[in-house]
Amino acid sequence: MKGPSEINTQLNLIIPGNKSNIEKTKKAAHFWHIFGMVISYAFLVVAAIIVLFPFYYMVMASFMAEVDVDNGRLIPITGNFFENIVYNYTQTLSQFNYGRYVGNTLIVAITTTLLQVIVTILSAYAFARLEFRGRDILFTIFLATMMIPGEMMVLTNYITMSNLGLTGRDQTQIQAYLAMILPFISSVFYIFLLRQNFKQIPNELYLAARVDGKSDWQYLWKVMVPLATPTLITITILSIIGSWNAYVWPNIVTSTAANRENLWTISVAIRNVNLAVLEHEVWVPQDSWLMCASVLTVVPLLVLFIVFRKYIMSGTGRAGIKG
Amino acid sequence: MEIRLDGLTKIFPGDPKNDIEPTTAVDNLCITIPDGHLIGLLGPSGCGKSTTLYMIAGLHEPTSGDVYFGDENVTSLPPEKRGIGLVFQNYALYPHMTIYKNIQFPLTSLKVEEEEKSYEYLREIVIQNVLKDYKELIDIILNSSIKGRISKKKASQEIALRKHLSIYVAKFIFELGLHTASDPKAVVDEAIKNSQQKQAKIVEKISAKGATLSEEEPGLLLYNGEPHLCVRKISKDEMDALIRQAAALVQIEKYLDRKPSELSGGQQQRVAIARALVKRPRVLLLDEPLSNLDARLRIQTREEIRRIQKETGITTVFVTHDQEEAMSICDEIVVMKDGEMMQAGHPQEIYRDPNCFFVAKFLGTPPINTFKGYFKNKSLYIGEEKILTSKEDIEDQEVYVGIRPEGFLMADQAPEKDKVLTLNCEQVVTQGRDLTLVCSSEYELNTPLKLIIDSDIEAKEGPIKFALRKNKVFVFDKDTEERINF
Amino acid sequence: MNKSRNYRAWLYLAPVLILMGVFTFFPLINTIVISFLRDYNVTTGANKGFTFFNYGVVLGILEKNEGSGFTDNSFISWNSPSALSNTLLITFVTVPISIIISLVIAIEINNIKVLKKFFQTVFFMPYVTNIIAVGLVFSVMFSDGGIFNRLFKLMFNSSISISEGSTSWGASMLVLCLYVIWTALPYKILIFLSGLQGIDKQYYQAAKIDGASRFKTSLRVTIPLLSPQILYITITSFIGAFKEYNAVIGLFNRSYTKDQNVHDLYTVVYYIYDKINGASFATEMQYASAAAVILFVIIMIFTLVQMRVSKKMVVY
Repeated sequence: MKGPSEINTQLNLIIPGNKSNIEKTKKAAHFWHIFGMVISYAFLVVAAIIVLFPFYYMVMASFMAEVDVDNGRLIPITGNFFENIVYNYTQTLSQFNYGRYVGNTLIVAITTTLLQVIVTILSAYAFARLEFRGRDILFTIFLATMMIPGEMMVLTNYITMSNLGLTGRDQTQIQAYLAMILPFISSVFYIFLLRQNFKQIPNELYLAARVDGKSDWQYLWKVMVPLATPTLITITILSIIGSWNAYVWPNIVTSTAANRENLWTISVAIRNVNLAVLEHEVWVPQDSWLMCASVLTVVPLLVLFIVFRKYIMSGTGRAGIKG
Repeated sequence: MEIRLDGLTKIFPGDPKNDIEPTTAVDNLCITIPDGHLIGLLGPSGCGKSTTLYMIAGLHEPTSGDVYFGDENVTSLPPEKRGIGLVFQNYALYPHMTIYKNIQFPLTSLKVEEEEKSYEYLREIVIQNVLKDYKELIDIILNSSIKGRISKKKASQEIALRKHLSIYVAKFIFELGLHTASDPKAVVDEAIKNSQQKQAKIVEKISAKGATLSEEEPGLLLYNGEPHLCVRKISKDEMDALIRQAAALVQIEKYLDRKPSELSGGQQQRVAIARALVKRPRVLLLDEPLSNLDARLRIQTREEIRRIQKETGITTVFVTHDQEEAMSICDEIVVMKDGEMMQAGHPQEIYRDPNCFFVAKFLGTPPINTFKGYFKNKSLYIGEEKILTSKEDIEDQEVYVGIRPEGFLMADQAPEKDKVLTLNCEQVVTQGRDLTLVCSSEYELNTPLKLIIDSDIEAKEGPIKFALRKNKVFVFDKDTEERINF
Repeated sequence: MNKSRNYRAWLYLAPVLILMGVFTFFPLINTIVISFLRDYNVTTGANKGFTFFNYGVVLGILEKNEGSGFTDNSFISWNSPSALSNTLLITFVTVPISIIISLVIAIEINNIKVLKKFFQTVFFMPYVTNIIAVGLVFSVMFSDGGIFNRLFKLMFNSSISISEGSTSWGASMLVLCLYVIWTALPYKILIFLSGLQGIDKQYYQAAKIDGASRFKTSLRVTIPLLSPQILYITITSFIGAFKEYNAVIGLFNRSYTKDQNVHDLYTVVYYIYDKINGASFATEMQYASAAAVILFVIIMIFTLVQMRVSKKMVVY
């Protein structure tokens, strides 16, 4: 017999929840499994509804008569459904110069993206493949700048832009574009993304190209760039989305221009425009029209997202894995 | 616990979108694994052995067929309810937990069923008993010092180990400060007095509940004179003891405070086994447990697994693609191919008596030597040479012939008249006890042929005529690949 | 050979070095310098030399126009909401809440099989939307007659309207935090999900065999294994929340104009940009610079502290 000083390890261990009858155990386990799944899906559905509700409401409110928006309706009830839509959108477009804003945005976005991609390819290649003194230190410094709040740069950059004569009362279209584009051509984040991709390309390919008498330059454009196409697409899409959504900088550099309304990009415009109707000599802001403008701003993004979902999600996700 | 697989089938659904056809991983498998046996599921990769294991574990649901543990049909029972231990191929130790916590993890979801006892009461008895021999305790504490420093952790561990105590009681004893007290006797007396007072209070509480303490078994509670069955949590002490016991079984007690990444592959493997065993599973399942170890460690660990299995007597299923591994430790092996069982039995039996060409080829190192041959007038020929004559009535047909490497006799091992097969020896490899002859033949099916000959015999390169051991020669039907007895 | 390649590398880097030199490195130094210059003139660069005066003004210790008896308390204040207190509030409310919510959502998405891709997409969608535009949607939903304000009134019998004139600091802050959390979820969910997908399935199988419940598996296995992503997200969201600006701009487009109670909802970045927006920038640049440097220092300290703490928390 074991003395009381020893701990008994001859325990009858049991699995909690196991019934004496195996069929009952099976049924109980099955029930809890189903129950867990139901809870999971219910939770996700409810969360999804909450997350998506602003989009639903944005679209619905843009279809509503103003009185319905003011009364917090969930669906349009006043007036004719289609007439409301036509009226809201035509009125919005008459005050909200959508074509011009989108034009400005696209010019800025496409130019920025193009230059950005070229600069990024060159520097990512240098960091990934070429050997030079100080490479790792320089790259670390580059990465460190991502930690610095952009506000530090914005202040001086604004002075630089005005010293270059790109801002001010008489700002022209071209000057405004230049002011919006120049500071955003270099992006450390994209260089980082592309460098990681370049590094994954096996070194043997490079050596093979050297044996075949290809220069670094040819190797970059004939081998590396085609192989990194998915990442380049990701960078392009993210860059365009970034330009579309940029508010602070475009707003600041155009804020002193006399004809700033013609220089606005879409995000600046939606923030600054007044969509109102004159009632009894008072301008009354129209929420339904504001929602039309929001729809016009957001929908192109959603389309872009749905088409390029894979690239956007993979590119964004990769940042986190590397830390 | 006997395991019985009854017509077990697993079909993985295809994906018509990507042109993937459904695959039958396991096809109508019927095996009975006797209680307490170590059985090896053996086969090339993709033969369905791991799928079979996962179905026994409950991680895969069979398409049809049943799994029985003893008399219970556990087919649709989820894995956590089956009471199994599973050792994964890459161990799946939680990297963020210490070895101790890793082994503890399965215990935290278990409970104990037993007759209700008062452990508080028992603890006081233990303390009083241990303190009687306080001089020894002081010795243990003082001897535990490292470079003159006494650490609480080390000293308590030492006390726990030497006096068979739980670490928590050991810590309590260490904290009494016997080794620093000027008058340890007084400290001990004081502690015993306190303990007795506590004990009295506990007894009071017990009687308030309407129970009494059993006279025969310390701590056992009686309600109206009868013990009472109850389900309770595993106490910290018991958990600690179970963990240490499991760790001792696989000899990793020293590493309990480390993280898995600080251990070698072999040690991680042992931890994985300890984690699987600590919960006293009805069945232990091992999925290619040795494949991530280097050759030397593999042999050592497989013997270890054998020892542990024998010690615990748990029915164990072991999946491997390495026939040598399976043969060396299993009570019984099941050879599988393309989801089907080819042959099952004692390893040596299967080696001696393969029932088909695949099994014959799969078992044995070096592998069996195979030839094209044919029967004519009840005699077996390889090329022009008549190998043997059968007593059975066998019709003339083409066949496959397999001869084990050790089935060849040469020089004065056999009389000249028995030498029937000529092979061209290309190379003689000396391997200490044995010679390996690397040979070729016009009629060979596998290259190179490898024969094992006693090293006392001198062999030269060039054509050699061999006699054959009849029990090392197997003949198989050319179409069905089934064994033909002659 | 080696030398020539060395020099070629710098050629490849030339564009980015020039651009970063002009638009990143120079501004960084220049802004710090300006923050220490007295009466800096933006156009001429003229100044009255080194001073801590600007910091004194920003921190509300010194009077901008000496002798005026007026100190600017909009950056930091002991008795009313200020840029710094608002920013800290936003940060410490939204970061933990959004991390917990997104962690739960990510784990749930990872648990299910059917519709996994669908939910992944749905929850990531808000990531690409325009913060200003959706901010306007929120501002309509939480306006006086807005749908959520009505709902809130019905449930709690009080208003969380953020309409001009009928709002309070508390209501505005509540809605702002809700909006910031909403905008913060998609990125976090995506990162957590990609982290979760990188966890070996065998850990879950092992946990299942060991009888761990789903909750226990999440707590004891999943979250510890996800700790690198959690650390990354914590640091980046702290930085992000400290720089909150667009959400405020989007949400309070119409209800706060400059001559009204704007300082109530100042954030640090809002404070900075207000100083240089429009005509005031010629005289206010040195204060904006000082505020930016303060922001920089705060972010640095927070990041370093978090990295320090997390060394113990990130478990493998």
